[in-house]
Amino acid sequence: MLGTDAFLSLARAAAATLGLPHLPVTMVPHPIGGMDAREVRAKAEAVVDHVIAALTSDPQPPRKTDSSAIALIGAPDALDDFQEFALAEGWGDGLPVLPPTPERVERILGRQGAKRETIVATLAPEQGVATLGVIAINAALAGAGPEHLPVIVAALRAVADPAFNLNAVQTTTHPCTPLVIVNGPIARRLGINAAANALGQGHRANAVIGRAVRLVLQNVGGARPGETDRATLGHPGKYTYCLAENEAESPWESLAVERGFGKDESCVTVAGSEAPLNVNDHGSTAADALLLAFVGTVAATGTNNIYLGGEPLVILGPEHARTFAGSGWSKRDLKRRLWEGARVRLDRFSRENLERFAAIDPGRFGGRPGDAEVAVARRPEDIMVIVAGGPGKHSAFVPTFGATRSVTVRI
Amino acid sequence: MDVLSPLAARAIDGKRLAPRRASLRSCRVGILDNGKPNADVLLGRVAELLVERAGAGPVRVWRKPAAAYPAAVIDEVVAASDVVLTGSAD
Repeated sequence: MLGTDAFLSLARAAAATLGLPHLPVTMVPHPIGGMDAREVRAKAEAVVDHVIAALTSDPQPPRKTDSSAIALIGAPDALDDFQEFALAEGWGDGLPVLPPTPERVERILGRQGAKRETIVATLAPEQGVATLGVIAINAALAGAGPEHLPVIVAALRAVADPAFNLNAVQTTTHPCTPLVIVNGPIARRLGINAAANALGQGHRANAVIGRAVRLVLQNVGGARPGETDRATLGHPGKYTYCLAENEAESPWESLAVERGFGKDESCVTVAGSEAPLNVNDHGSTAADALLLAFVGTVAATGTNNIYLGGEPLVILGPEHARTFAGSGWSKRDLKRRLWEGARVRLDRFSRENLERFAAIDPGRFGGRPGDAEVAVARRPEDIMVIVAGGPGKHSAFVPTFGATRSVTVRI
Repeated sequence: MDVLSPLAARAIDGKRLAPRRASLRSCRVGILDNGKPNADVLLGRVAELLVERAGAGPVRVWRKPAAAYPAAVIDEVVAASDVVLTGSAD
């Protein structure tokens, strides 16, 4: 396997994922993208002897993996000292964490303690085994309580679904992270905010559920920033990114109901998402007019969705949702009108990008004139729409990773 | 105080690598291009040099349409090649 030195740890993790931590990896200096071919060929010439050696000499024997039970570790008593300890161990995210003492973890597990060895998911990129017990330990770090555990567990089952493509979401240079969307009665029961400032701070349930999921993805899945997590810039949702859909104020069926679940079934959907981009419209009073603000925002050239497909997400504030519904539009109508209206001309992309996109999606990008247009998703039903937020004439556009499908599971 | 480690053990056991060749003479070289910019140039030049310096060949190229998904053609690549060069990430 060949790669650039900036991505060495990711290459090794990819090999380890396949059970080959000792696969020979040959590195050239980063970058090779964006350089002219002569320089790239020179880099190849510098390493070919290493490649020949890698293909012809005996590999190291496979390392034994350690599948021992969960470790009990001595840590400083004082809370402030514990923060330094947790940082040094790489357990946290930079914010304060609570010590995962056996007592705290038992309280979170509650009656599920008997099932702590149950395997909930195996998480990429390092194929870490997420048992109920180790999830509870990360929930303790995050400050979550026993009531939050079922939602955290469901979100992790969802990201482990092959359709989500967790390995790519965890390791890409793109900033994506799972956005956790909760539907059903559990949202109100746990106080998961669906209304004012739903994507912001202030509600414990949103904060700790999202954070616990992120800590498991790091500590069990093994994605660490600068190492296997290659995000160029990332975004603050990688601390926590969780909300409930505002079903009380939505004029339409919820996301879970769209996907075949009952109104009274509590569900979690995960979507590999960027940060939200606000859509402000204070003037429009009918659907056709309000659509313009969305079409203009969503028809962007810099998303992954425009060339990779997947499911871009629109989060409608309740006032905007009522404006669309007030003109008689269903959710399906909105998706179709968005899909038809939000188009990007091919001449808005650079020549080099059009060539790349055409290799990935020749149907939409190959051999078409500059004034031809592409839609922001492959089909209208690929645009996800939920209703969330409080009073005010704002909504949000959340582009997603593209090479991922959102997954909905029952809690 | 005692705390429980939030880290988990890896699920996978080390597999055996395919046996190494004594020499690359007449080895069929497969290139699995991951589609990232200039991957084709880097892998292609390495393959050319394997032919020139180690007598390997012939060389055949397969291309993944997108880097983020595993190659659908992997079985075909393995059946048609003695050694495979591939790229990881950017």
